[in-house]
Amino acid sequence: MNHDIVLFLEMTLAGFLTLCIFSFLYKDNPFYRLAEHIFAGLSAGYYVGLIWHSVIMQQLWVPITQNGQYSLILPGLLGVLMFTRLVDRLSFLSRVSIAFVVGNTAGISIIQQLHGFVLPQLGDTMSRFGQEFWGPLIILIGVVSTLIYFYFSKEHKGALGITAKVGTVFIMVSFGAHFGYTVMGRVSLLIGRVQFLFVDWVHSFNKIIN
Amino acid sequence: MLTRIADVLARIDRRIIYLLISISVIIPTLVIFPLPVQVSPETQKLYDRVEAIPDSSMILLTFDYYPSTLAETEPMSVAVLKQCWRKNLKVVTLSTVGLGGPSIADRVMSTLADKFGKVYGIDYVNLGYKANYQAVLLGLGKSIRSIYPTDYYDTPLDSLPMMKNVDTYDAFDFIFIVSDNGIVDNWVGLVNAQFGSEMGAGVTAVMAPKFYAYVRSNQLVGLLGGMKGAAEYEYLVGEKGAATAGMGAQSLVHLTIIIFILIGNFAYFAGRKKK
Repeated sequence: MNHDIVLFLEMTLAGFLTLCIFSFLYKDNPFYRLAEHIFAGLSAGYYVGLIWHSVIMQQLWVPITQNGQYSLILPGLLGVLMFTRLVDRLSFLSRVSIAFVVGNTAGISIIQQLHGFVLPQLGDTMSRFGQEFWGPLIILIGVVSTLIYFYFSKEHKGALGITAKVGTVFIMVSFGAHFGYTVMGRVSLLIGRVQFLFVDWVHSFNKIIN
Repeated sequence: MLTRIADVLARIDRRIIYLLISISVIIPTLVIFPLPVQVSPETQKLYDRVEAIPDSSMILLTFDYYPSTLAETEPMSVAVLKQCWRKNLKVVTLSTVGLGGPSIADRVMSTLADKFGKVYGIDYVNLGYKANYQAVLLGLGKSIRSIYPTDYYDTPLDSLPMMKNVDTYDAFDFIFIVSDNGIVDNWVGLVNAQFGSEMGAGVTAVMAPKFYAYVRSNQLVGLLGGMKGAAEYEYLVGEKGAATAGMGAQSLVHLTIIIFILIGNFAYFAGRKKK
């Protein structure tokens, strides 16, 4: 079949599903549900295929059977133990795998947070005190007052209460910035779909009639 | 009188708001009107850094995003690729996102490669996706081949001329992350902090406020935030694309939303006065 016709059919299917999703803005309806279920099913199916190919085959089966990397049997077994959660009597065995994952993730994350975030950010803010005054001071006040807002071991009264209130102001400014950017982001996604419907889809139709 | 108007405004059907927002997007999409682009310092710094990379050097460009955020992220990837290939930089791509990332990279790169006359394996390579991003990012710092023995198309790396002497982050002059999720934290916290690789990022608007701190501390060279960041980069590269085309709609929708926020506040306060 002609490439342009195939492209148009693909675009038409995508356009139809986009309109199905948008129909929810009016009210819930069978077209929306159809698109929603197709999306959920397709994503799940794609992920299963992806993990099967890129993890089970590429990182476990092929290295063991073709490259003789038998040490991978151990992580393979840990993976199998995760499925023991499906059998009540054996479900305790899955804790071995979970413990490994939690320990491994915590080990990496602690170093990452400390070495990649806390220390560089602290170092940068403190080093700026030599060059400017207000900028790093505001950051310092913001960090300390926000941390105090989340300190719940003592009632927020007196100096602690005032500092926590200052922290609330910083939190609100942060929420405001995030909200503004989130609106921009969501609008961008809508623009992307509208560009698809009114530009790409129409263009693919024009290509087959010309 | 005022309270009656407030009552009417407070009861506006949400579908009317949706309709007005839709019109605000559709009209500027069909009738593109040019708007001036103000380039932010973060975008300028990122552009200048890529521009300063010596010709024929190698850059790592990531496609860490899902198809759902294409409107914001793809224009960034396209603009960066155009800049790289105009400078004859060699581009290696990978993705820590399985659903979409590698296939988007494949589509974007092959489309632009035809335009720039670039050849796969000599000018660019797509490494594809591997699960467990933390292990992948750390592993690439020790040996790329241990994580990616083959590329996205199952071709062994050693048979690709461009990848012959490439085995750690040291081979790359710069890392350009395009992402719609928190993976930037891992690139900064694991790769920049532990391997000293210089990097910059283009992220969705939702993620952007969090990452400006990294630019200030020089952990990221620069940052593109959402469609606006992409439009700024397109402007610097000198190629107007989807992001620039979307900025008219973006501005009009923002104006509509501001008007509705004002109406909502008026209705709320006028209504409260009545009570």
